[in-house]
Amino acid sequence: MSSVRLPEIPSLSRLYLAAAGAAAKNRVTGGQRRLSLPAVRHEVHSVTVDVERLTQYQHLLHEPARDVLPSGFIHAVAFPVAMSVMTDEDFPLPLLGMIHLRNHVEHSRPIQFTEPLDIAAWPENLSGHRAGTQMDMVVEVSVGADLVWRGVSTYLAKGVYLPGIDSLRDEQDSRGDFAPPAPTAQWRLGLDTGRSYAAVSGDFNPIHLSGVAAKALGMRRSIAHGMYLASRVLATARPDGAEAFNWDIEFGAPVFLPGTVALSVKDRNERQEQWQGVDYVAWNPRSSRKHFSGSVTAM
Amino acid sequence: MDNSSGNNIQQTAATSGQQNPADTGASGVRRKAVVIGGNRIPFARTGGAYARSSNQDMLTAALDGLVARFGLQDERIGEVAAGAVLKHSRDFNLTRESVLGSALSAETPAYDVQQACATGLETVVGLANKIKLGQIESGIAGGVDTASDAPIAVSEGLREVLLSVSRAKSLKEKLTAVSKLRPKDLAPDAPSTGEPRTGLSMGEHQALTTAHWEISREAQDELALASHRNLAAAYGRGFFDDLVTPYRGLSKDSNMRPDTTMEKLAKLSPVFGKNLGQGATMTAGNSTPLTDGASTVLLGSEDYARSRNLPILADVVDAEAGAVDFVHGKEGLLMAPVYAAPRLLARNGLTLEDFDFFEIHEAFAGTVLSTLAAWEDAGFCRTRLGLDKPFGKVDRSKLNVNGSSLAAGHPFAATGGRIVATLAKMLHEKGSGRGLISVCAAGGQGVVAILEAR
Repeated sequence: MSSVRLPEIPSLSRLYLAAAGAAAKNRVTGGQRRLSLPAVRHEVHSVTVDVERLTQYQHLLHEPARDVLPSGFIHAVAFPVAMSVMTDEDFPLPLLGMIHLRNHVEHSRPIQFTEPLDIAAWPENLSGHRAGTQMDMVVEVSVGADLVWRGVSTYLAKGVYLPGIDSLRDEQDSRGDFAPPAPTAQWRLGLDTGRSYAAVSGDFNPIHLSGVAAKALGMRRSIAHGMYLASRVLATARPDGAEAFNWDIEFGAPVFLPGTVALSVKDRNERQEQWQGVDYVAWNPRSSRKHFSGSVTAM
Repeated sequence: MDNSSGNNIQQTAATSGQQNPADTGASGVRRKAVVIGGNRIPFARTGGAYARSSNQDMLTAALDGLVARFGLQDERIGEVAAGAVLKHSRDFNLTRESVLGSALSAETPAYDVQQACATGLETVVGLANKIKLGQIESGIAGGVDTASDAPIAVSEGLREVLLSVSRAKSLKEKLTAVSKLRPKDLAPDAPSTGEPRTGLSMGEHQALTTAHWEISREAQDELALASHRNLAAAYGRGFFDDLVTPYRGLSKDSNMRPDTTMEKLAKLSPVFGKNLGQGATMTAGNSTPLTDGASTVLLGSEDYARSRNLPILADVVDAEAGAVDFVHGKEGLLMAPVYAAPRLLARNGLTLEDFDFFEIHEAFAGTVLSTLAAWEDAGFCRTRLGLDKPFGKVDRSKLNVNGSSLAAGHPFAATGGRIVATLAKMLHEKGSGRGLISVCAAGGQGVVAILEAR
């Protein structure tokens, strides 16, 4: 695998523009898609976070404003490095319109905001999905020689079928089976939820910003960022004492804005035990469609 | 007790000497409440390191540091009491919300207190009393304030219009309500340090008192200089290592000026009482600046501390609140502790000679020096305090020996916790003796308290 060392965290808006340019060029030239993932990792070294942005993020996501970095914040800081890989000329899937299917993160120790972070991202596991082609983006964040945070995000390029990669037969579609539990919380998400999260995460993907922009990209209305939902549920589900933990989230139906999300957070623990984990699920209280579900567990 | 008139103050100070706080209360034998330790975040000048931090952020950070220091992770504390002077209405449950965001057990109850700048000390007194009564085994007292993230309200005019609109049923009624809005109503209503009944700011009030007691500019600057030097020396020898947790990149109080001099302080122009001419002596150097910060104090019964192998630094012996009538010019706004302390000491059979440390909150250098002057003045002590001789002289070598608010800054409700934790540690290091705490507050109030070494 070859390494590309970026001088700094790339600008997400520039990457989105590049992606849009590539998409347009592809439409005009009908460019050939590669059939494999590029064997390349992009890296940025000694990244320090801006404490003002950290505070804004913590306030928006209802995180206590600690000096340690929330797990979702690290994802947001590292995301442009992953995007940089996905906008690489050799990347086989179109970035725009990709759907975030799930995340698995291993957060191995508290990370102070003053610690310089080395970030590396690369793609893995190009494979079929019933609705297209999926792949994993792996992001590793290290402090010195310590791997402190590792995330795997799975994305789906809907409607893109690559020759030689079998599409999976219909996976179980759980939409019909879901019986919502008693909610433990309800989020009322305003129209500005996408814009507010874009401001703290830097992710200005137009489908989150306004109804008009979302319609232009084929969505009924603008939708909440998956990582907004993940970070917010993490802020409420992760006990404050948990210092090393894994978390998983699987995304279902998108959350249209404005909207209301019903949430159930359930502790796996009986009383007086070492903390083991929390399971959560969120759904639309009117249609009972599942928006996302997952867990936080002790490492 | 009715202390609303000077006459009653006399009677109270003169007659309450026989009562001993060690006597049993109505519910039986009282036990001791002890200070186990404290933790605060460094205090920051407003608009500095904590410019974007809320009260809840800072109180949570101070609690988390305390939890880490004393191994209170997931522990259910008897009760947490804290407060803020400048508080958003959405923060009605500030302390409980901070507990929920902290590493304490979510089953820890909490309540908010507001007694202006005495808030922090009052939380210590209230929880210590609950411990003494056997209602709780442990408690965390605290306070927080931010002038950076201060609440700004809408004007009274806009507020009335908005309420009318929400009550209006038809569109016509709504439009009528909105039509009452005037351009001036759009100006926001920011909090001020002005007294509602006099319109004078705290500094202007103190300027009158400072002039009344003829406190010189030089004496005030000397006190400010000592505060900075004492605080810097305390940091220098590591005194605050187990009392302060860094936050947002700050590890020491940002107002501290270890290298300030009398010459530098003398160059500053008066900012309060400017119409007093020669009597204009109060500058930005000898007054506390607006500051952001939070502090906490861990209290417990002796059993609680011993069973967990926690240190016992000091006993919370007794406390007294006072208030003065400043509205009618009978007394200076910040002079209530001058009255409360003699009552407290009389009740405990003590005099100023019996104390090894004095922690007199430096709202302004003039406040401290007016307090000392009043206690030494035979006429004042006779007519106002009802004492047949001066209350006494505070040995200046025992006063604010590790610095106070002029150097550290004064995030209103956080000051009490800073002082209690600091004094308790000083007493424990000395191994014997007593300390007197005095904190003045807006509204002509004040709280004084006695700690005793363990």
